[in-house]
Amino acid sequence: MILTRRTLLALMGTTATTLAIRSAFADQATDTAQTAKAAETVDTSAFKKSGKIKIGVSAGYLSNSWVVFALQHVRWEASKHDVSEVIVTDAGFNPAKQVSDIEDLLRQKIDLLIYWPVDDASVANVLKRAVDAGVPTVQAGGGFTDAPGVTSNAYISQWKLGEMVARHLMQDIGGKGKIVAMLPIAGTTAAVDQLDAFNTVAKEYPGVELLSAEYGDWNRAKAKQITENLLQRFPKIDGVFSPSGQMSIGMAEAFDEAGRLGETVFSPGDEYNGWLKWAATHKQGGVVTFPTRAGQVAVQVGMDILAGKPVTRGVAVPSVYVAPAEIGSLVAADRPDDWWASQLPPEFLPQ
Amino acid sequence: MSVAATQATRLQLSHFGRYAIFFVLAVIYVAGLAVSPAFAEPNYILNILRQITPVGIAAVGVTFVMILGGIDLSVGAVISLTSVLTATVMAGDVANLAPAILLACAVGLCIGLINGIIVAFSRASPFILTLGMGVAVVGLTQMLTGGTAKGIVSPGFREFFNFRVGGLLPNLAIAFLLLVAIGLFIEKATIFGRQLFLVGTNRATAVLSGLAVRRVTIAAYAISGLFGALAGIALLARSGVSSTVAGQGLEFQVLAAVVLGGTTFEGGRGGIAGTVAGVLVLAIAFNLVNIAGLPYQMQLLVMGFIIILASALYGQISDLAD
Repeated sequence: MILTRRTLLALMGTTATTLAIRSAFADQATDTAQTAKAAETVDTSAFKKSGKIKIGVSAGYLSNSWVVFALQHVRWEASKHDVSEVIVTDAGFNPAKQVSDIEDLLRQKIDLLIYWPVDDASVANVLKRAVDAGVPTVQAGGGFTDAPGVTSNAYISQWKLGEMVARHLMQDIGGKGKIVAMLPIAGTTAAVDQLDAFNTVAKEYPGVELLSAEYGDWNRAKAKQITENLLQRFPKIDGVFSPSGQMSIGMAEAFDEAGRLGETVFSPGDEYNGWLKWAATHKQGGVVTFPTRAGQVAVQVGMDILAGKPVTRGVAVPSVYVAPAEIGSLVAADRPDDWWASQLPPEFLPQ
Repeated sequence: MSVAATQATRLQLSHFGRYAIFFVLAVIYVAGLAVSPAFAEPNYILNILRQITPVGIAAVGVTFVMILGGIDLSVGAVISLTSVLTATVMAGDVANLAPAILLACAVGLCIGLINGIIVAFSRASPFILTLGMGVAVVGLTQMLTGGTAKGIVSPGFREFFNFRVGGLLPNLAIAFLLLVAIGLFIEKATIFGRQLFLVGTNRATAVLSGLAVRRVTIAAYAISGLFGALAGIALLARSGVSSTVAGQGLEFQVLAAVVLGGTTFEGGRGGIAGTVAGVLVLAIAFNLVNIAGLPYQMQLLVMGFIIILASALYGQISDLAD
């Protein structure tokens, strides 16, 4: 390949552009601003409806266990109210399909729309149309969304989740040491917010050094592979910041196989069953939940809207910390790893 | 230079051309050594072997299809399906180990057979056909599992494959090398292997010379499906069940490895040895940028460059040889 001047300039241009793209996600200031906005009241008088309710759920994707559990929470909460039907559509990560899914649901005369987006920007228009047609919309499980088409949110703050995980890790390692961070898909709200939260907390602990921030894409095998490299690079790793339980187990295995599990402390992960089993056995780590009951909260908010009760623009579904000693009650030993601890009654568990 | 001498030189160079990918592998390995002394440690190298086992096994199977001039884009979906299926049938019980593995292999073989039959008996483009089959298999996987990865691995299964013989060589790596050896045997020492190259080089001639082209095609795709299933089982051994889309996107890594290794889309050339070298090149490239401690965005950029340079270098060497 001949390196002409043109090629070199194109290369430099691409590199510069990539590095210059600023992320629009949350830092502590944005998170505080979001919390303030979420507390605003929404006038729901226009949406008041009586009689049997038809709920439409537009799932951006249904291909991972977390969203499947969130959907089951939707169904469970719906069963407690006067709901005639819950119609579910799956956009399979296709933003254009989600737009047509929502249009289909509107045609089927739903009274309430619960959704989680593939891409916020693509569905903004159709959501506005839903609201204009008198159908309230509630976003479930993602970050707080403030848009004309979104009536309310049952949201999870990745920043607060990351902060809780970081603080407990700092406690568990005694406030000083060398840390590696494992984050999900680069560029997602979760990845950006979690890293920023960690960095913000780490500022209070000058004895803590972040050796490397890696991106494991929520993939257990990839997290394991990256950790095998980290173990080569760094002769001593005192702590692991990994809010995702799925990736934490991959990392733990890599440490174990290298015979270095004893030298490090794991941060809390989420309530992914595989991680719960590991944390219960090894009596370390703990849990900061990434609650699948966001689906349940979304329906609760939706039903309040339909009853004409005032709701806030966003209802935070808080993460809770569970200490390693108490994990025993959360673990489902006879269930697969790809399972989430929850309060779902047996008839609503995924089959 | 005399004519004979020129001929001799040309023959030597053409020989060299076939092994271009190994030269590239050596270059990138040396680059790895320069970045980190880890690449000199046997433990680390064997780790890499373990990391590439799922992609490697699938790539061996796809090589057969591509020598034929075809392509198999359904392999990623097959890996996801067989990985989850094996875990589901195992259901945490050692007694289910054998039935689980056999069922997964049977499913992979079936999917390969269907691909092969359709390609052999219709004018369907293998690209579109296997792409569509992949999508269908993804749907099948979602239907069977309802979105959450079911199944608990039998105790001992993962421990067996992660166990290191002599404290060094992981069983998973041994399994991978064994399958590569079987693949090489089929390719080089059987009539079927010869027939693959013949059909790939010139299909019309093969048909006219009375070769059972359809049978060869079906067999090649069936092998690809079977190796896909074995790759799914290997993935399960390596990482345990963590999702229903564990194999998603792997088909592109597999294709990149096969093409980098010298087996082109036209068919009739290449081979498994090259494919294995291709898989290693990709793995070393990934680990190289990762272990160098570059920021993530730079990692992706540099890895892309390495792959481009590797294929360019390979192209230059092959051109020199021709």
